[in-house]
Amino acid sequence: MSAARGDVDEHELTALVDGRLPAERAASIDAYLAAHPEELARLQQYERQRHALRQAAAADIGEPVPARLRVARVLAGQRRRRYWQLGAAAAAVVLLAAGGVVGWAARDWGSGAPPSGHRAQLAATERAITADALAAHQVFSVEVRHPVEVGAAQEAHLVQWLSKRLGHPLVVPDLTSAGFQLMGGRLLPSESGPAAQFMYQNGDNRLTLYERSDTVGDTAFRYSEEHGVGMFYWSDQDFGYALAAQTDRQKLMQLAELVYRQLSGDGAKPRPPPPPGKAS
Amino acid sequence: MAIEAASIEAHIPGLRRFARALARGDRDRADDLVQDSLERALSRWHLRRAEGDLRGWLYTILYNRFLSEQHRQKRRGVHDTLTEAIESELPQIKGGQDEALEHRDLLRAFAALPEEQRAVLHLVGIEDLSYEAAARVLGVPIGTVMSRLSRGRERLRQFMNADLDAGDGAPRRGK
Repeated sequence: MSAARGDVDEHELTALVDGRLPAERAASIDAYLAAHPEELARLQQYERQRHALRQAAAADIGEPVPARLRVARVLAGQRRRRYWQLGAAAAAVVLLAAGGVVGWAARDWGSGAPPSGHRAQLAATERAITADALAAHQVFSVEVRHPVEVGAAQEAHLVQWLSKRLGHPLVVPDLTSAGFQLMGGRLLPSESGPAAQFMYQNGDNRLTLYERSDTVGDTAFRYSEEHGVGMFYWSDQDFGYALAAQTDRQKLMQLAELVYRQLSGDGAKPRPPPPPGKAS
Repeated sequence: MAIEAASIEAHIPGLRRFARALARGDRDRADDLVQDSLERALSRWHLRRAEGDLRGWLYTILYNRFLSEQHRQKRRGVHDTLTEAIESELPQIKGGQDEALEHRDLLRAFAALPEEQRAVLHLVGIEDLSYEAAARVLGVPIGTVMSRLSRGRERLRQFMNADLDAGDGAPRRGK
């Protein structure tokens, strides 16, 4: 469908159907359609379909919004849940204090009785992901010749390929506003299936974003530091993410927020030009 | 950043339309999706860029929620049956019979399109998002938006024409 026809391409015909063809192209397209009545008929049919679909959607306009979709109702529901969560957290603190157990130790409970099945599983997943992410960071971020499997020049292919292997549409965050350029990415094996690593570079400093699908709850950012590598871990829906670099916590936090915001669906990704005179 | 209820609510009818297009007209499922997206948007309000495009942000969240729901369902082996979902939602026939039937067929054909084509036909063709804005919502390059548009439109056209020709195993018009 996208094959060029003379100097007219399918995208321009699409734009014509949507009434978005640049004015300077109108004459060429008109000439093309005058010479190809079957193409004109095809586009007219597209236009009729577009119009009919709009009419069908317009039938829903003015329909009242159900109460459960009112912002006030959704907010009230969230407050209620937070209240119960706070209550549960407070109760947990009391129990821990009463038992003389240091909560932090729960992190390293391996063979002992887990605090609760689900929580223990989440903690184990988190440990597994952060350990794998750290290992992958240490191995590949120092690689000189082959730091990535597919380079940033083929970004579209990279995204498509890794999305397919991970079974989930991936988004490669744009970190140019923080001075980091995408180098590319690679596919990695893990005990819970394929994982992806994206690598970025700012001068000599390399940053990796590791992600994979796993049994994770939604968790807030958690920072850890090992062998001079700082890492933020968080999870969102069915994915665990780990962002690692040899940089200070404050800087990494800003980067983690930038990544998080783009992954969680802030469509408006800033793509500012790199700052002038910045060596990279 | 304080939550501006009114500015969000202005987009709820649009979110419901988009959700219906994704959920193939299943209104309950669509409203569940909208509710889920609103919860997510409100709990992440502080992450929104103040100068960003609110509608695009909300649509992006909804689309991502839809995809992850699809993904979960596929993993669980749930397949929604197309006919069940949309047949009950098709408009009642009134006025000229032929025209009404054609209208029903078009909606049925639209519901049968792959979700990425439905999403782009809806955002561009019905909600009038720019190609750039639709690309941001769907997280794909503009070229992909354009290709999905032309493929989706062509598929609708083929469906409708096959319907007219009948025979040769083409989709049949249900009465």
